[in-house]
Amino acid sequence: MKSCSSLPVIERAQPWLGTLVSIRVEGVPAEEAHRAMDAAFAEIAAVHRRMSFHSPKSDVSRLNREAMRGPVAVHSSTYSVLQCAQECARRSQGCFDISVAAELVRRGVLPPPQQAAHPGGGSWRDIELLPDGSVFFHRPLWIDVGGIAKGFAVDCASERLAALGIARSVVNAGGDIRVRGTDAELVRLSAPSSGQMAPVLELSEGSIAGSCAAPRSEAREELAHSVHLHGARRQTASAGRFVCVIAERCMTADALTKVVMAQGADSAALLLEYEASAWIKDSGCHWQHLGMEIA
Amino acid sequence: MFLPLAGLVLAGGPAYATVYLTVAQAQQLMFPGATFQQEFKTLDHNQIKEIEHLSGVHVLSNQLRAWRASTGGWFLVDEVVGKHDFIPFALALDNKGKVKGIEILEYREAYGSQIRDPLWQRQFAGNGPDAKLRLGRNIRNISGATLSCKHITDGVERLLVTYEVVLKPAGD
Repeated sequence: MKSCSSLPVIERAQPWLGTLVSIRVEGVPAEEAHRAMDAAFAEIAAVHRRMSFHSPKSDVSRLNREAMRGPVAVHSSTYSVLQCAQECARRSQGCFDISVAAELVRRGVLPPPQQAAHPGGGSWRDIELLPDGSVFFHRPLWIDVGGIAKGFAVDCASERLAALGIARSVVNAGGDIRVRGTDAELVRLSAPSSGQMAPVLELSEGSIAGSCAAPRSEAREELAHSVHLHGARRQTASAGRFVCVIAERCMTADALTKVVMAQGADSAALLLEYEASAWIKDSGCHWQHLGMEIA
Repeated sequence: MFLPLAGLVLAGGPAYATVYLTVAQAQQLMFPGATFQQEFKTLDHNQIKEIEHLSGVHVLSNQLRAWRASTGGWFLVDEVVGKHDFIPFALALDNKGKVKGIEILEYREAYGSQIRDPLWQRQFAGNGPDAKLRLGRNIRNISGATLSCKHITDGVERLLVTYEVVLKPAGD
Protein backbone atom coordinates (compact mmCIF):
# COMPACT_ATOMS: atom_id res chain seq x y z
CA MET A 1 0.00 0.00 0.00
CA LYS A 2 1.22 3.47 -0.85
CA SER A 3 1.95 5.77 2.04
CA CYS A 4 0.21 9.13 2.13
CA SER A 5 3.46 11.01 1.72
CA SER A 6 4.10 9.47 -1.68
CA LEU A 7 0.75 10.63 -2.98
CA PRO A 8 0.88 13.81 -5.03
CA VAL A 9 -0.43 17.22 -4.05
CA ILE A 10 -2.88 18.16 -6.76
CA GLU A 11 -3.85 21.78 -7.28
CA ARG A 12 -5.93 23.39 -10.00
CA ALA A 13 -7.30 26.88 -10.63
CA GLN A 14 -10.18 28.19 -12.70
CA PRO A 15 -11.70 31.65 -13.15
CA TRP A 16 -15.06 31.92 -11.34
CA LEU A 17 -16.93 34.54 -9.30
CA GLY A 18 -14.85 37.31 -10.85
CA THR A 19 -11.62 35.96 -9.41
CA LEU A 20 -9.31 32.94 -9.52
CA VAL A 21 -10.54 29.94 -7.57
CA SER A 22 -7.94 27.34 -6.63
CA ILE A 23 -8.50 23.94 -5.07
CA ARG A 24 -5.76 21.80 -3.56
CA VAL A 25 -6.24 18.19 -2.57
CA GLU A 26 -3.74 15.96 -0.79
CA GLY A 27 -3.51 12.36 0.26
CA VAL A 28 -5.37 10.61 -2.55
CA PRO A 29 -4.29 9.26 -5.94
CA ALA A 30 -4.28 11.80 -8.78
CA GLU A 31 -7.25 10.35 -10.64
CA GLU A 32 -9.45 10.38 -7.53
CA ALA A 33 -8.26 13.90 -6.68
CA HIS A 34 -9.19 15.22 -10.13
CA ARG A 35 -12.63 13.59 -10.04
CA ALA A 36 -13.32 15.18 -6.66
CA MET A 37 -12.01 18.55 -7.85
CA ASP A 38 -14.23 18.42 -10.94
CA ALA A 39 -17.22 17.99 -8.63
CA ALA A 40 -16.00 20.79 -6.32
CA PHE A 41 -15.46 23.20 -9.25
CA ALA A 42 -18.97 22.31 -10.48
CA GLU A 43 -20.32 23.51 -7.11
CA ILE A 44 -18.48 26.82 -7.54
CA ALA A 45 -19.75 27.17 -11.11
CA ALA A 46 -23.33 26.61 -9.92
CA VAL A 47 -23.03 29.39 -7.32
CA HIS A 48 -21.51 31.62 -10.01
CA ARG A 49 -24.47 30.98 -12.35
CA ARG A 50 -27.17 31.44 -9.70
CA MET A 51 -25.83 34.41 -7.77
CA SER A 52 -24.08 36.64 -10.30
CA PHE A 53 -25.18 40.29 -10.23
CA HIS A 54 -24.00 40.65 -13.84
CA SER A 55 -25.68 37.69 -15.55
CA PRO A 56 -29.31 38.47 -16.48
CA LYS A 57 -30.27 34.80 -16.02
CA SER A 58 -29.09 34.46 -12.40
CA ASP A 59 -31.48 34.15 -9.45
CA VAL A 60 -30.16 37.49 -8.18
CA SER A 61 -30.94 39.27 -11.46
CA ARG A 62 -34.42 37.73 -11.60
CA LEU A 63 -35.05 38.97 -8.06
CA ASN A 64 -33.83 42.47 -8.92
CA ARG A 65 -36.21 42.55 -11.91
CA GLU A 66 -39.26 40.72 -10.62
CA ALA A 67 -39.40 40.24 -6.84
CA MET A 68 -41.10 43.57 -6.20
CA ARG A 69 -44.06 42.44 -8.32
CA GLY A 70 -44.59 39.11 -6.58
CA PRO A 71 -42.81 36.13 -5.00
CA VAL A 72 -39.99 34.70 -7.14
CA ALA A 73 -38.86 31.08 -6.70
CA VAL A 74 -35.09 30.68 -6.37
CA HIS A 75 -32.75 27.71 -6.05
CA SER A 76 -32.44 26.36 -2.51
CA SER A 77 -28.76 27.39 -2.37
CA THR A 78 -29.65 31.01 -3.29
CA TYR A 79 -32.31 30.88 -0.60
CA SER A 80 -29.73 29.65 1.94
CA VAL A 81 -27.37 32.52 1.09
CA LEU A 82 -30.22 35.03 1.44
CA GLN A 83 -31.17 33.52 4.82
CA CYS A 84 -27.60 33.88 6.03
CA ALA A 85 -27.40 37.45 4.66
CA GLN A 86 -30.65 38.44 6.39
CA GLU A 87 -29.51 36.88 9.66
CA CYS A 88 -26.25 38.82 9.49
CA ALA A 89 -28.19 42.02 8.64
CA ARG A 90 -30.46 41.49 11.65
CA ARG A 91 -27.60 40.75 14.04
CA SER A 92 -25.52 43.70 12.78
CA GLN A 93 -28.50 46.12 12.82
CA GLY A 94 -28.24 46.58 9.09
CA CYS A 95 -24.50 47.16 8.88
CA PHE A 96 -24.42 44.13 6.59
CA ASP A 97 -27.06 44.77 3.94
CA ILE A 98 -27.21 43.12 0.51
CA SER A 99 -29.44 45.95 -0.75
CA VAL A 100 -26.43 48.31 -0.85
CA ALA A 101 -26.14 47.26 -4.51
CA ALA A 102 -28.13 50.38 -5.50
CA GLU A 103 -25.51 52.58 -3.84
CA LEU A 104 -22.69 50.56 -5.45
CA VAL A 105 -24.34 51.07 -8.86
CA ARG A 106 -24.63 54.80 -8.14
CA ARG A 107 -20.90 54.87 -7.34
CA GLY A 108 -20.04 53.01 -10.53
CA VAL A 109 -18.76 49.88 -8.72
CA LEU A 110 -21.51 47.71 -10.22
CA PRO A 111 -23.28 48.13 -13.58
CA PRO A 112 -26.99 48.97 -13.45
CA PRO A 113 -29.10 45.80 -13.75
CA GLN A 114 -31.12 45.56 -16.96
CA GLN A 115 -34.89 46.11 -16.96
CA ALA A 116 -35.04 46.47 -13.20
CA ALA A 117 -37.03 49.32 -11.63
CA HIS A 118 -34.77 51.81 -9.92
CA PRO A 119 -34.93 51.44 -6.14
CA GLY A 120 -35.86 54.43 -4.04
CA GLY A 121 -34.55 53.85 -0.54
CA GLY A 122 -35.37 50.50 1.00
CA SER A 123 -33.17 48.10 2.89
CA TRP A 124 -32.74 44.46 3.91
CA ARG A 125 -35.96 44.83 5.95
CA ASP A 126 -37.91 44.98 2.68
CA ILE A 127 -36.74 41.50 1.68
CA GLU A 128 -39.12 38.70 2.67
CA LEU A 129 -38.06 35.07 2.49
CA LEU A 130 -41.26 33.06 2.19
CA PRO A 131 -41.60 29.58 3.70
CA ASP A 132 -42.18 28.01 0.25
CA GLY A 133 -38.63 28.95 -0.83
CA SER A 134 -39.58 32.04 -2.81
CA VAL A 135 -38.54 35.65 -2.22
CA PHE A 136 -40.57 38.86 -2.22
CA PHE A 137 -39.38 42.48 -2.13
CA HIS A 138 -41.80 44.90 -0.46
CA ARG A 139 -40.41 47.74 -2.60
CA PRO A 140 -38.05 47.94 -5.60
CA LEU A 141 -34.58 46.82 -4.47
CA TRP A 142 -31.27 45.91 -6.03
CA ILE A 143 -29.47 43.22 -4.11
CA ASP A 144 -25.93 41.94 -4.58
CA VAL A 145 -24.72 38.88 -2.68
CA GLY A 146 -21.11 39.48 -3.77
CA GLY A 147 -20.19 40.06 -0.11
CA ILE A 148 -21.14 36.54 0.91
CA ALA A 149 -21.46 34.27 -2.15
CA LYS A 150 -17.72 33.69 -2.59
CA GLY A 151 -17.54 32.36 0.96
CA PHE A 152 -20.62 30.24 0.35
CA ALA A 153 -19.12 28.82 -2.86
CA VAL A 154 -15.92 27.95 -0.98
CA ASP A 155 -17.97 26.14 1.69
CA CYS A 156 -19.95 24.21 -0.96
CA ALA A 157 -16.75 23.08 -2.71
CA SER A 158 -15.03 22.18 0.57
CA GLU A 159 -18.06 20.21 1.79
CA ARG A 160 -18.31 18.39 -1.52
CA LEU A 161 -14.66 17.33 -1.27
CA ALA A 162 -15.21 16.10 2.30
CA ALA A 163 -18.31 14.16 1.22
CA LEU A 164 -16.20 12.47 -1.46
CA GLY A 165 -13.77 11.29 1.21
CA ILE A 166 -11.05 13.91 0.74
CA ALA A 167 -9.67 14.58 4.22
CA ARG A 168 -7.15 17.29 3.33
CA SER A 169 -8.12 20.16 1.09
CA VAL A 170 -7.74 23.91 0.63
CA VAL A 171 -10.28 25.90 -1.37
CA ASN A 172 -9.36 29.51 -2.13
CA ALA A 173 -11.64 31.95 -3.98
CA GLY A 174 -9.62 35.14 -4.34
CA GLY A 175 -8.49 35.11 -0.71
CA ASP A 176 -11.62 33.59 0.87
CA ILE A 177 -10.09 30.34 2.05
CA ARG A 178 -11.31 27.17 3.77
CA VAL A 179 -8.85 24.61 5.07
CA ARG A 180 -9.65 21.01 6.00
CA GLY A 181 -7.21 18.53 7.42
CA THR A 182 -4.73 18.36 10.24
CA ASP A 183 -1.81 20.29 8.79
CA ALA A 184 -1.92 24.04 9.18
CA GLU A 185 -1.92 26.26 6.16
CA LEU A 186 0.07 29.49 5.94
CA VAL A 187 -1.90 32.47 4.70
CA ARG A 188 -0.25 35.74 3.84
CA LEU A 189 -2.34 38.80 4.65
CA SER A 190 -2.00 41.51 2.05
CA ALA A 191 -2.29 44.31 4.60
CA PRO A 192 -0.60 47.57 3.66
CA SER A 193 2.80 47.56 5.33
CA SER A 194 6.06 49.40 5.25
CA GLY A 195 8.72 48.02 2.97
CA GLN A 196 8.27 44.45 1.90
CA MET A 197 7.06 43.13 5.26
CA ALA A 198 3.80 41.26 5.40
CA PRO A 199 2.03 39.25 8.10
CA VAL A 200 1.26 35.56 7.89
CA LEU A 201 -1.36 33.53 9.74
CA GLU A 202 -1.53 29.82 10.27
CA LEU A 203 -4.89 28.17 9.91
CA SER A 204 -6.28 24.67 10.17
CA GLU A 205 -9.88 23.39 10.10
CA GLY A 206 -11.38 26.76 9.46
CA SER A 207 -11.86 29.66 7.13
CA ILE A 208 -10.37 33.06 6.59
CA ALA A 209 -11.57 36.02 4.58
CA GLY A 210 -9.64 39.23 4.20
CA SER A 211 -10.40 42.67 2.87
CA CYS A 212 -8.62 45.95 2.43
CA ALA A 213 -10.27 49.36 2.08
CA ALA A 214 -8.94 51.80 -0.51
CA PRO A 215 -6.00 53.75 0.92
CA ARG A 216 -6.28 57.49 1.45
CA SER A 217 -3.22 58.17 -0.67
CA GLU A 218 -4.92 56.94 -3.81
CA ALA A 219 -6.98 60.11 -4.40
CA ARG A 220 -10.49 60.83 -3.37
CA GLU A 221 -12.17 59.08 -6.31
CA GLU A 222 -10.82 55.78 -5.07
CA LEU A 223 -12.75 56.15 -1.83
CA ALA A 224 -15.90 57.10 -3.70
CA HIS A 225 -15.59 53.83 -5.59
CA SER A 226 -14.90 51.78 -2.45
CA VAL A 227 -16.89 48.58 -2.26
CA HIS A 228 -16.90 48.82 1.54
CA LEU A 229 -20.04 50.49 2.75
CA HIS A 230 -21.83 50.56 6.08
CA GLY A 231 -25.23 49.11 5.16
CA ALA A 232 -27.28 51.36 7.43
CA ARG A 233 -25.23 54.56 7.23
CA ARG A 234 -23.97 54.00 3.67
CA GLN A 235 -20.56 55.40 4.67
CA THR A 236 -17.28 54.07 3.32
CA ALA A 237 -14.84 52.27 5.62
CA SER A 238 -11.72 53.89 7.11
CA ALA A 239 -9.19 54.51 4.37
CA GLY A 240 -6.49 51.85 4.22
CA ARG A 241 -8.10 49.62 6.87
CA PHE A 242 -7.25 45.93 6.56
CA VAL A 243 -9.50 43.30 8.08
CA CYS A 244 -9.37 39.55 8.23
CA VAL A 245 -11.93 37.31 9.87
CA ILE A 246 -11.47 33.69 10.95
CA ALA A 247 -14.54 31.48 11.38
CA GLU A 248 -15.44 27.89 10.89
CA ARG A 249 -17.47 28.53 7.74
CA CYS A 250 -16.11 30.69 4.94
CA MET A 251 -19.52 32.29 4.31
CA THR A 252 -19.52 33.58 7.91
CA ALA A 253 -15.96 34.89 7.58
CA ASP A 254 -16.78 36.54 4.24
CA ALA A 255 -19.91 38.30 5.56
CA LEU A 256 -18.25 39.41 8.80
CA THR A 257 -15.32 41.09 7.02
CA LYS A 258 -17.86 43.64 5.74
CA VAL A 259 -19.17 44.34 9.24
CA VAL A 260 -15.71 44.57 10.83
CA MET A 261 -14.54 46.78 7.96
CA ALA A 262 -17.43 49.19 8.59
CA GLN A 263 -17.66 49.05 12.40
CA GLY A 264 -14.13 48.32 13.57
CA ALA A 265 -13.95 47.56 17.29
CA ASP A 266 -17.74 47.91 17.62
CA SER A 267 -18.12 44.53 15.92
CA ALA A 268 -16.50 42.58 18.79
CA ALA A 269 -19.79 41.35 20.28
CA LEU A 270 -21.08 40.21 16.89
CA LEU A 271 -17.85 38.28 16.28
CA LEU A 272 -18.35 36.46 19.58
CA GLU A 273 -21.95 35.64 18.63
CA TYR A 274 -20.64 34.01 15.46
CA GLU A 275 -17.70 32.36 17.30
CA ALA A 276 -15.40 34.26 14.99
CA SER A 277 -12.18 36.16 15.40
CA ALA A 278 -10.84 39.19 13.59
CA TRP A 279 -7.65 41.17 13.17
CA ILE A 280 -7.77 44.80 12.09
CA LYS A 281 -4.94 47.02 10.98
CA ASP A 282 -5.61 50.73 10.57
CA SER A 283 -2.97 52.80 8.87
CA GLY A 284 -0.45 54.06 11.40
CA CYS A 285 -1.78 51.77 14.15
CA HIS A 286 -0.87 48.39 15.61
CA TRP A 287 -2.87 45.27 14.88
CA GLN A 288 -6.02 44.90 16.92
CA HIS A 289 -7.64 41.59 17.76
CA LEU A 290 -11.40 41.25 18.22
CA GLY A 291 -13.80 38.44 19.01
CA MET A 292 -12.99 34.90 20.02
CA GLU A 293 -9.56 34.23 21.48
CA ILE A 294 -7.60 31.75 19.45
CA ALA A 295 -4.62 30.44 21.34
CA MET B 1 -11.56 24.28 16.47
CA PHE B 2 -8.84 26.46 14.97
CA LEU B 3 -5.11 26.23 15.35
CA PRO B 4 -3.34 29.11 17.03
CA LEU B 5 -2.46 32.00 14.84
CA ALA B 6 0.83 33.74 14.96
CA GLY B 7 2.55 36.42 13.02
CA LEU B 8 5.83 36.69 11.25
CA VAL B 9 7.08 38.97 8.58
CA LEU B 10 8.14 38.36 5.07
CA ALA B 11 11.06 40.01 3.46
CA GLY B 12 11.36 40.32 -0.27
CA GLY B 13 12.61 37.14 -1.84
CA PRO B 14 12.20 34.95 -4.86
CA ALA B 15 8.85 34.84 -6.57
CA TYR B 16 6.73 31.82 -5.88
CA ALA B 17 5.18 29.93 -8.77
CA THR B 18 2.41 27.36 -8.70
CA VAL B 19 2.31 25.02 -11.64
CA TYR B 20 -1.22 23.64 -11.67
CA LEU B 21 -1.17 21.52 -14.80
CA THR B 22 1.14 20.76 -17.69
CA VAL B 23 -0.29 21.05 -21.20
CA ALA B 24 -0.53 17.26 -21.47
CA GLN B 25 -2.30 16.96 -18.10
CA ALA B 26 -4.79 19.69 -19.04
CA GLN B 27 -5.48 17.94 -22.37
CA GLN B 28 -6.30 14.66 -20.66
CA LEU B 29 -8.50 16.34 -18.03
CA MET B 30 -10.47 18.37 -20.52
CA PHE B 31 -10.76 15.67 -23.23
CA PRO B 32 -10.46 12.33 -21.40
CA GLY B 33 -9.12 9.55 -23.61
CA ALA B 34 -8.62 11.77 -26.66
CA THR B 35 -5.53 12.04 -28.84
CA PHE B 36 -4.41 15.45 -30.07
CA GLN B 37 -3.24 16.78 -33.38
CA GLN B 38 -1.14 19.92 -33.10
CA GLU B 39 -2.33 22.65 -35.48
CA PHE B 40 -0.39 25.76 -34.51
CA LYS B 41 -1.12 28.78 -36.65
CA THR B 42 0.37 32.20 -37.25
CA LEU B 43 -2.30 34.88 -37.41
CA ASP B 44 -1.89 37.33 -40.28
CA HIS B 45 -2.42 41.07 -40.01
CA ASN B 46 -6.02 40.96 -41.27
CA GLN B 47 -6.99 38.15 -38.90
CA ILE B 48 -5.54 40.05 -35.94
CA LYS B 49 -7.44 43.19 -36.95
CA GLU B 50 -10.67 41.22 -37.29
CA ILE B 51 -10.20 39.45 -33.93
CA GLU B 52 -9.48 42.75 -32.19
CA HIS B 53 -12.49 44.38 -33.84
CA LEU B 54 -14.92 41.56 -32.97
CA SER B 55 -13.67 40.86 -29.43
CA GLY B 56 -12.65 44.36 -28.39
CA VAL B 57 -9.53 42.76 -26.89
CA HIS B 58 -5.95 43.52 -27.93
CA VAL B 59 -4.09 40.57 -29.53
CA LEU B 60 -0.65 40.28 -27.91
CA SER B 61 0.77 37.43 -29.98
CA ASN B 62 0.29 36.31 -33.56
CA GLN B 63 0.89 32.69 -32.52
CA LEU B 64 -2.16 30.49 -32.00
CA ARG B 65 -1.40 27.29 -30.09
CA ALA B 66 -4.25 24.95 -30.99
CA TRP B 67 -4.72 21.18 -30.90
CA ARG B 68 -7.58 19.27 -32.52
CA ALA B 69 -9.04 16.64 -30.17
CA SER B 70 -9.85 13.22 -31.67
CA THR B 71 -13.15 13.20 -29.76
CA GLY B 72 -14.22 16.51 -31.33
CA GLY B 73 -13.41 20.04 -30.31
CA TRP B 74 -10.29 22.12 -29.81
CA PHE B 75 -7.74 22.57 -27.06
CA LEU B 76 -6.09 26.01 -26.98
CA VAL B 77 -3.26 27.36 -24.86
CA ASP B 78 -2.80 31.08 -24.42
CA GLU B 79 -1.72 33.60 -21.80
CA VAL B 80 -2.90 36.89 -20.37
CA VAL B 81 -1.21 39.62 -18.38
CA GLY B 82 -1.53 38.97 -14.63
CA LYS B 83 -0.66 41.11 -11.62
CA HIS B 84 3.00 40.08 -11.57
CA ASP B 85 3.55 37.97 -14.63
CA PHE B 86 1.81 36.29 -17.55
CA ILE B 87 -0.87 33.76 -16.62
CA PRO B 88 -0.90 30.79 -19.04
CA PHE B 89 -4.24 29.05 -19.36
CA ALA B 90 -5.93 26.31 -21.38
CA LEU B 91 -9.32 26.62 -23.05
CA ALA B 92 -11.30 23.60 -24.23
CA LEU B 93 -13.92 24.19 -26.92
CA ASP B 94 -16.53 21.63 -27.99
CA ASN B 95 -17.11 20.88 -31.67
CA LYS B 96 -19.51 23.84 -31.88
CA GLY B 97 -16.90 26.27 -30.54
CA LYS B 98 -18.58 26.57 -27.12
CA VAL B 99 -16.54 26.69 -23.89
CA LYS B 100 -16.11 23.24 -22.35
CA GLY B 101 -13.68 24.29 -19.66
CA ILE B 102 -10.92 26.68 -18.59
CA GLU B 103 -7.90 25.65 -16.55
CA ILE B 104 -5.16 27.97 -15.30
CA LEU B 105 -1.84 26.25 -16.04
CA GLU B 106 0.49 28.30 -13.90
CA TYR B 107 0.41 31.24 -11.51
CA ARG B 108 3.39 33.24 -10.36
CA GLU B 109 3.28 35.57 -7.39
CA ALA B 110 5.97 37.48 -5.52
CA TYR B 111 5.36 35.92 -2.08
CA GLY B 112 8.85 36.30 -0.75
CA SER B 113 10.83 34.35 1.77
CA GLN B 114 10.14 34.18 5.47
CA ILE B 115 11.94 35.90 8.31
CA ARG B 116 10.71 35.78 11.89
CA ASP B 117 10.25 39.06 13.72
CA PRO B 118 9.45 38.63 17.45
CA LEU B 119 8.59 42.30 17.95
CA TRP B 120 6.02 42.18 15.26
CA GLN B 121 4.64 38.92 16.64
CA ARG B 122 3.83 40.51 19.98
CA GLN B 123 1.32 42.78 18.29
CA PHE B 124 -1.01 39.82 18.04
CA ALA B 125 -3.29 39.24 20.98
CA GLY B 126 -3.93 35.63 21.93
CA ASN B 127 -0.60 34.59 20.60
CA GLY B 128 0.57 32.00 23.12
CA PRO B 129 4.11 30.72 23.51
CA ASP B 130 3.25 27.61 21.49
CA ALA B 131 1.92 29.60 18.60
CA LYS B 132 4.95 29.15 16.43
CA LEU B 133 4.70 29.17 12.71
CA ARG B 134 6.55 26.40 11.06
CA LEU B 135 9.06 28.08 8.86
CA GLY B 136 10.46 26.88 5.61
CA ARG B 137 7.12 25.95 4.14
CA ASN B 138 5.77 27.66 1.11
CA ILE B 139 3.08 30.23 1.58
CA ARG B 140 0.57 29.29 -1.05
CA ASN B 141 -2.32 31.49 0.04
CA ILE B 142 -2.90 35.19 0.16
CA SER B 143 -5.93 36.89 1.67
CA GLY B 144 -7.20 40.43 1.40
CA ALA B 145 -6.25 41.28 -2.14
CA THR B 146 -8.86 39.80 -4.40
CA LEU B 147 -7.37 39.19 -7.78
CA SER B 148 -9.65 40.10 -10.65
CA CYS B 149 -9.98 37.53 -13.41
CA LYS B 150 -11.05 40.15 -15.94
CA HIS B 151 -7.94 39.59 -18.07
CA ILE B 152 -8.67 35.88 -18.26
CA THR B 153 -12.32 36.51 -19.18
CA ASP B 154 -11.09 38.90 -21.90
CA GLY B 155 -8.57 36.30 -23.08
CA VAL B 156 -11.30 33.66 -23.37
CA GLU B 157 -13.49 36.10 -25.32
CA ARG B 158 -10.58 36.79 -27.67
CA LEU B 159 -10.02 33.04 -28.24
CA LEU B 160 -13.73 32.42 -28.90
CA VAL B 161 -13.55 35.04 -31.65
CA THR B 162 -10.24 33.58 -32.86
CA TYR B 163 -12.01 30.22 -33.24
CA GLU B 164 -14.72 31.87 -35.37
CA VAL B 165 -12.18 33.70 -37.53
CA VAL B 166 -9.46 31.06 -37.86
CA LEU B 167 -10.46 27.52 -36.80
CA LYS B 168 -14.18 27.13 -37.49
CA PRO B 169 -14.83 24.97 -40.56
CA ALA B 170 -16.25 26.97 -43.47
CA GLY B 171 -20.01 26.60 -43.90
CA ASP B 172 -20.69 25.80 -40.20
